[in-house]
Amino acid sequence: MLNVANLTASIEDNPILKGIDLNVGAGEVHAIMGPNGSGKSTFAHALAGRDGYEIEGTATIDGADLLEMEPEERAAAGVFMGFQYPVEIPGVNNMYFLRTALNSVRRTRGEDEIGARDFLEIAQKAMDLVEMKKDFLHRSVNAGFSGGEKKRNEILQMAVMEPRLAVLDETDSGLDIDALRVVAAGVNALRGPDRSMIVITHYQRLLDYIKPDFVHVLVDGKIVESGDHTLAVHLEDHGYAGFLNSGLDDASLSGATA
Amino acid sequence: MSGTVSALRAEALELVESLHLPTKRDEAWRYAPHKTLSELTFGPATATDALPTDIDDQVPALDGPRIVIVNGVVDATRSQLGSLPAGVQMVSLDDADQSEQRSEVDAKAADDAFSILNRAYGDGGAFLQIDGQPTETIHIVDIAVPGETQNASASRVVIDMAVGSSATVVETRIGSGDAFGGSNVCTEISLAANASLEHIILQDLPSTQVHLGRVDVVQAAESNLRARLFNLGSDYGRVAYHVHLNGEGAHADLSGLYFGFGTQTLDQQITVVHDAKDCTSRQSYRGVLDDSSTGVWNGGVDVRKGADGTDSEQSNDNLLLSRQADVNTMPRLEILADEVSCQHGATVGQLDDEALYYMRSRGIPKDEASRLLIKGFADQTMDDIESDAIRTWITERLGHDDA
Amino acid sequence: MSETMRDIEKLTEASYEYGFSTDLDTDVAPPGLTEETVRLISAKKDEPEWLLAWRLQAFAAWQEMDEPDWAKLQIAPIDYQSISYWAAPKQKPVLDSMDDVDPEIREMFDKLGIPLHEQKMLSNVAVDAIVDSVSVTTTFKETLAEAGVIFCSFSEAVQDHPELVREHLGSVVPVRDNFFAALNSAVFSDGSFCYIPKGVRCPMELSTYFRINSMNTGQFERTLIVAEDDSHVSYLEGCTAPQRDENQLHAAVVELVAKDRSEIKYSTVQNWYPGDENGVGGIYNFVTKRGRAHTDAKISWTQVETGSAITWKYPSVILQGDRSIGEFYSVALTSKHQQADTGTKMIHIGADTTSSIISKGISAAKGQNTYRGLVKIMRSAENARNYTQCDSLLLGKECGAHTVPYIEVKNPTAQVEHEASTSTVGEDQLYYCRQRGMNEEDAMAMIVNGFCREVFDELPMEFAVEAQRLLSVSLEGSVG
Repeated sequence: MLNVANLTASIEDNPILKGIDLNVGAGEVHAIMGPNGSGKSTFAHALAGRDGYEIEGTATIDGADLLEMEPEERAAAGVFMGFQYPVEIPGVNNMYFLRTALNSVRRTRGEDEIGARDFLEIAQKAMDLVEMKKDFLHRSVNAGFSGGEKKRNEILQMAVMEPRLAVLDETDSGLDIDALRVVAAGVNALRGPDRSMIVITHYQRLLDYIKPDFVHVLVDGKIVESGDHTLAVHLEDHGYAGFLNSGLDDASLSGATA
Repeated sequence: MSGTVSALRAEALELVESLHLPTKRDEAWRYAPHKTLSELTFGPATATDALPTDIDDQVPALDGPRIVIVNGVVDATRSQLGSLPAGVQMVSLDDADQSEQRSEVDAKAADDAFSILNRAYGDGGAFLQIDGQPTETIHIVDIAVPGETQNASASRVVIDMAVGSSATVVETRIGSGDAFGGSNVCTEISLAANASLEHIILQDLPSTQVHLGRVDVVQAAESNLRARLFNLGSDYGRVAYHVHLNGEGAHADLSGLYFGFGTQTLDQQITVVHDAKDCTSRQSYRGVLDDSSTGVWNGGVDVRKGADGTDSEQSNDNLLLSRQADVNTMPRLEILADEVSCQHGATVGQLDDEALYYMRSRGIPKDEASRLLIKGFADQTMDDIESDAIRTWITERLGHDDA
Repeated sequence: MSETMRDIEKLTEASYEYGFSTDLDTDVAPPGLTEETVRLISAKKDEPEWLLAWRLQAFAAWQEMDEPDWAKLQIAPIDYQSISYWAAPKQKPVLDSMDDVDPEIREMFDKLGIPLHEQKMLSNVAVDAIVDSVSVTTTFKETLAEAGVIFCSFSEAVQDHPELVREHLGSVVPVRDNFFAALNSAVFSDGSFCYIPKGVRCPMELSTYFRINSMNTGQFERTLIVAEDDSHVSYLEGCTAPQRDENQLHAAVVELVAKDRSEIKYSTVQNWYPGDENGVGGIYNFVTKRGRAHTDAKISWTQVETGSAITWKYPSVILQGDRSIGEFYSVALTSKHQQADTGTKMIHIGADTTSSIISKGISAAKGQNTYRGLVKIMRSAENARNYTQCDSLLLGKECGAHTVPYIEVKNPTAQVEHEASTSTVGEDQLYYCRQRGMNEEDAMAMIVNGFCREVFDELPMEFAVEAQRLLSVSLEGSVG
């Protein structure tokens, strides 16, 4: 479904991703783990199409070239990105935002737009999934939300958008244990044979709730190890130290394994 | 006298002939007492015999070097200029002019009548050059003694901070006698790269007099200005700051307190110009107005084209304590750049009823509770002043009038 | 170039869709302004002697006044003698029914999306249509008359209700108020008049639609709304003009009288021709709008200003009666070479008076946008409250945003709060929307509309939709 080959990314000649190869089949859940600064978020944004990176290599979704597409075209192709830092958009209410997003994607795909009433039903289901209160739809997008609310909003949006590929960037960061459980339950409910996921995280904690089929370790812009979910457990016990270049000092290691 | 300075002075003297005093229509002078201002008279500085009594009880008790200017002329006997700290040069402005040492902050931009009068007649004053990091506070005292030939004095202060230098300079401005008159003091400050200056003005002229202060600051890259104003005295007490952030990463932090009684008008005019990338500025002023006093705060941030990355905040909070007191506040923004973050806020109100009630319910009488709240409101403006002598002076000054 | 910058460039290229002109047979006075011109206008309109005297008094005052120069506007000198002060579409003097409206005028309004046929009107809105300063028709007159509401052209009001006009004309904006108000008082040609009797809640929205059609004419209309005790009215005005290379002058005066416990809600969507992307042409819009709120009355101004080369207007409220309320909600968009200096004055005189000000300024291309406001709490205004929020959005490197608030407080019981912020549309906001599948242009429009939300919420539904659409049109340019 998603095929990434020799993907590199750099900002102003500073290489961040140094050749990523990754194949994600339909229905698979892949976890990408790694220490701070290893390039995890850059990988997510390279797939979603954020400006400002020089990208080389290939990335295709169902055979279509992702790298040639604008961000909204990628969304229409089924790529959903759960942001680590969801953006605040004052004055634009959630419901309007989501309906516009959904209908934009549907229009691009040549599907019928969804009317306000039908949309409300879809939104209601998604809200139940992440345990959001009713007034939520009428609040501005992410403005004044707590960290937990923002992340739940990302999952809610994912539920409405029904993507082919969900890339969840540090969805667990800044969540307390209850919020984490809600978010993870939402993600699990959305797993299915046609939906692939890439879960990016620093900690193994999230993977206790979302069991991945594959785990990849990203260090210094490269995938240095791949395996099944037991790899995550190994990382929890041993940290990233074993995968890091000897040139890195201990300070960053202690940060990575904290 | 250096060529540029004398040329400026000659030009100003010519302009004096056809001077138009500011009117209500001049934004910066909108709330000034125009009739009172028209009664000020200026002329060439002359030493006065009517010397003030001992000044030590009128100024903060600072230990460092001190230069005293009386009616625009340096008074050597009252100054303490022996054994200056390393890296500090402080002389009378005439001496500096003669040795061509004066900094050349472009003060021509100041084209209002009183700036021109100051250029024309303000020959005397203090020249201060810092090339080091003196720890002692440097004190400049300006005293106005209304005279026979003219009732107002004009003087200048020039502060020149070399690359990487740092210092604290206090300008105390007072007057003598109960005749009408006043002082017109212009300060030119230039901060070279990485220089850091804490500049404090204590304005406490008698209530029969007028004080017109103007401070022009030019800041180079990564320089740091902390300007504090305690505008307390005079019938009309005015201090105008014009801060020009010329170098990348420069930072200006201005704050102050005006506390008016009787028929005082206390006027602060602040303009901070962002003319380079990534500069930050803060303006934070508080006013307390009692009796029939008037407070004026006109604070502007002017972000020039290309000054991307500007970060500015302004706030002005006022307490009105009397039915006859007025406050006029104008937080202005002019923005011609992209990627800026500019915020401002202004409030006018009276003492918080909830807080008063809370304190009274704990047994504090109403008057005492009010006094405490006012003090709390005002005292926050001296939070970051390190000198005990200055804090004591301000506290006593306010306590005295508050009684 | 960043995505945002590209969007903004497109924004500046958006075309003006109301730029057509209609070939109407028009009665135009020769250019020039003398006492004779004033007399001519008054005679054309068959006005009573007192009104001519009032005009002449205003003209005399105007001659002694100077154009105001304090606004942050760069204006090419206006030659007041080159303007024609009277232009009217020729038509039958009296209309028996809507069918008598000149078909070409009807067609013009259809093109603008303003149907004058009552049968065709879906929304519950009565329309007074004004072309080149002259009212051509007013709809729903009879329905309104049943409720006792008078809604007619100013000229008709002068003939049919002279006592009401005479009592209130100039009572809020005196002839000497300012240069442009004096000019308007001398030469105004028509406008709308609206009277809501005691205790009446106006059964429908009232709307005036202004259209400048002729060349070289100024438009000087006068609106007067009187709401008697305990009445309520919501009034809308919309404006467009043809695309022309020369600047055209529009100097209007609006006076609102809100008597005890009444409420007047006045909404404007101003889309006069803004000039082209090189700053050629466009309307000079100098407007004086002011209301007087008596005891427990409420006056609410809402404006969406997207048009005009120059906008100079400060819809104000004199909060005279105790507990009266004044509100000002504004969106001002300046793109191309547009300049706007706009804001409000809230003058608190009565006790327990409340005012709130929400201003949203959007600057793009080479636009210059200034908020200028005065909040004045007089000595008598016990417990007055004001809250002001002033936000600016900058879209580009060539534009400017300025905030000049004056706050003058003479009563210690007042509580006044002013907040302002300046921001840009973030790359991250655009990217976030695009990641969710929206194109750049839609994303931009959505974010800008979100920025204006608090103001749009104040508009009646039909106008809110129109205002959003206008902003989106201005942001149009289609991303591939």
